[in-house]
Amino acid sequence: MSEWIIQTKDLCKSYRGRLAVDHVNLNIARGEIYGFLGPNGAGKTTTIRMLLGLIKPTRGSVEIFGKSLKREKLHILRKIGSLVEYPSYYGHLTAVENLEAIRRILDVPKTRIAQVLETVGLTKDAKRPVKGFSLGMKQRLGIAAALLGEPEMLILDEPTNGLDPSGILEIRELIKAMPKQHGITVLVSSHLLSEVEQMASTVGIIRQGRMVFQDTIESLRRQSEGSISVAVSEPEEALLALLRMGFRGKLENGRIALERTDDQSVARIVKALVEQNHAVYRVEEKRKSLEELFLQIVGEGGGA
Amino acid sequence: MGRVLSSDLLKIRRKGLWLLAVSGPFGIVALQALNFGIRYDYLTKKYADDLWGGLIENIALLVPVTVLAGVTLISSLIANVEHQTNSWKQLLALPVPRTAVFAAKFLLSVILLGVSCALLAWGTAALGVALGFGWDFPAVKILKISFLPFLASLPFLALLLWMSLTVRNQAAPVAIGLLAAVCSLFAGQLPEFVPLAWPLLAAGPPSGLRLAVGGGVLLGALILLVGAVHFERRDVD
Repeated sequence: MSEWIIQTKDLCKSYRGRLAVDHVNLNIARGEIYGFLGPNGAGKTTTIRMLLGLIKPTRGSVEIFGKSLKREKLHILRKIGSLVEYPSYYGHLTAVENLEAIRRILDVPKTRIAQVLETVGLTKDAKRPVKGFSLGMKQRLGIAAALLGEPEMLILDEPTNGLDPSGILEIRELIKAMPKQHGITVLVSSHLLSEVEQMASTVGIIRQGRMVFQDTIESLRRQSEGSISVAVSEPEEALLALLRMGFRGKLENGRIALERTDDQSVARIVKALVEQNHAVYRVEEKRKSLEELFLQIVGEGGGA
Repeated sequence: MGRVLSSDLLKIRRKGLWLLAVSGPFGIVALQALNFGIRYDYLTKKYADDLWGGLIENIALLVPVTVLAGVTLISSLIANVEHQTNSWKQLLALPVPRTAVFAAKFLLSVILLGVSCALLAWGTAALGVALGFGWDFPAVKILKISFLPFLASLPFLALLLWMSLTVRNQAAPVAIGLLAAVCSLFAGQLPEFVPLAWPLLAAGPPSGLRLAVGGGVLLGALILLVGAVHFERRDVD
């Protein structure tokens, strides 16, 4: 595997004795989009705040760019852009002034403001007070602010929360372009798998403070392998025949549900059934959606 | 810290903070203009020996309460710029030491209130001249009553700013500040070592002045230091 940009070791945060984040080991590689998933209150935001040095871990360590966050916080933060939950903006200022307030602290050239506004598509509205912006525009301004310091890593907490579908699409396209066009590694959190699966290469799922899954999105997809459902005239007889041929399956609501799904098997099944004079009404593929799998993982968790 | 301060100066645009800084001294001067305007004959007879001294005395009475109210409102409004839309998490995730953020807010308050003090000095002199007290005004005395009560109020600025910056709900710091402002009207009754007595003492005779200003600056610096250390360590929600 390539080098880790972010690596946490047994990261814990407790509030009044309750562990909000419980021994989390995040591993994020350079150039990927890492989807950080979990239901509300699972510890995503707490973890992200610890990555940004906003709150101190109760236990465990955070290493970013191979350096200890505790010891070289400012050095690390210089290379990170962040957007934590709801957008932060000074409503009485225009978009340009908002960015200027941050630019003065970051000390980057003034030309960056026009560049980042261009990147997020807000050039037209640059001179308007931000309080008149739609939520989607505010969120894009937030991403512009995060990009201002030309970061190597972007940390976005729930960037699509509360947006309408077109707003979600805009933000998603923006995030997808980051590694390709700017070489930026992205950590994006969400409570919806469907939002993340279309952009993330790796996902980490957190539940009640614990990491319950961390792997590539393909690996997650493989776990959601489908089954084949066959509707026939005499299901019981047909199932017996198929079991005798070595297929594995069972009866579900008067239909045959079969586990193995490659094309050849399906062809052999249909052929066998037809040869034995069963009428085959329907052959359907039933895929467990990623969302169902996600809910299942989140529901089961590492507990019980 | 210069960079943070320059950013803060930008953020308070159109927030009415400059207006507030101007309205304090304007209020004091306008009140005394009214006082001397209505009772001109009586007051000029009363202060016939030292017309400027009389005016300065009257101005000085209003300075402590105005300074404390100003300290309260300015520190709360400055903190509110960040509280209002949860900007702390964005600001403090930037590569800048938290102590610099804290110090910049303090410096911004000092600048705004310093402008108020300078305007008060200018307005006092202008009022005296307009009342026909002549051009030979006692500049040092005017500067003293304009600036020294503010220096004596620094412990309150440090404390209220620290509270305003760390607590989201501004009710407590504003209530405490305004209460202090009102009580300062009766500060003459307090023993000299009580910080609340200092703003009034600082506008008075030299005996109490040294304690008030020295104590104000020292205690202010101490509270600022403790506040900065706490601000550096606290978790940001």
